[in-house]
Amino acid sequence: MSTVTERFQRAVARDDGRAACALLTQGAVVALEREAGRRCAVAITGVRVAQAPVARAQVYVTSAKVDLRGGESAFLSATRAGWRLDAVGCRPQGGKPADLPYDCELEA
Amino acid sequence: MSRFLRQNSLSLCFGALFLATLVAQALVGHADFNHAAAAHQDDTISLWRYVRSSDFGVDVLENWQSEYLQFSLYILGTVWLLQRGSPESKPLDEAGGGSDHDQQLGTHAGDRSPRWARLGGTRTWVYSNSLGLAMVAIWLASWLGQSVTGRVAYNAEQFDHREAAVTWLQYVGTSDFWSRTVQNWQSEFLAIGSMAVLSIYLRQRGSPESKPVGAPHDATGVEG
Repeated sequence: MSTVTERFQRAVARDDGRAACALLTQGAVVALEREAGRRCAVAITGVRVAQAPVARAQVYVTSAKVDLRGGESAFLSATRAGWRLDAVGCRPQGGKPADLPYDCELEA
Repeated sequence: MSRFLRQNSLSLCFGALFLATLVAQALVGHADFNHAAAAHQDDTISLWRYVRSSDFGVDVLENWQSEYLQFSLYILGTVWLLQRGSPESKPLDEAGGGSDHDQQLGTHAGDRSPRWARLGGTRTWVYSNSLGLAMVAIWLASWLGQSVTGRVAYNAEQFDHREAAVTWLQYVGTSDFWSRTVQNWQSEFLAIGSMAVLSIYLRQRGSPESKPVGAPHDATGVEG
């Protein structure tokens, strides 16, 4: 899932919306298109995500979380196509991170 | 063969029931997991993937640990605790571990007594308490297993809710762990308590768990 996150970061950095959207879950794509009112490949370039290396990856059953250096995180789900990003640009809201949901730029 | 089946029918029957219901739990648990996944717009998983998951593991182990706790407390508790009128209790004047003569230990052991019943010392002590020790060991092992698999399943849900994962130490302090634990404990203790009391007044002809049908209500520690 670290590779998927890094490929997503590179795709967003070079404005390759199609490649970036291919690394999102269907739910994340639908949520983005609904919110932006545009196709994912166009809307994704407006999503702010940190360009930082992966510091830690955790996997539990079919869910995963990747923490980037600098404090941002991404959440992933296991799909038939492999790991896909369910939420990106996530930061803890404050207080105990285990008790409150992260605030994410994009999530399914 | 038929003699073997007849003389071991109790363990064979319950062994078969256990395996059948474990398979059934895997099937319905798999369906339930995938139903929840679809509701979250996640991909579904195969039955083989499900039975290797902590979701299945915690659902199995939370039940195992409570069953073995039930039997641990029942086996150890009935050494000293009494219930007037219940076949589940020893006679009212026999609380405690019993004499070496009654327990057929050491010089009181017979030719066919288990070897460790005759040897004395630590080995006889261990064997004298082996049933309780085994039940407690299995209870603790399955409770530990519940905590390990439960943490994994809990953290998967944490991520689904965009929350951080918890350590094992944090998990055993969560309401999720204790909810899974005590909801099972209450039913086990209810079952034992019910059996101890109902068997005072009710009968099941032919069962060693019941008093003889014509036994008085206050007859204690007699089996049918």
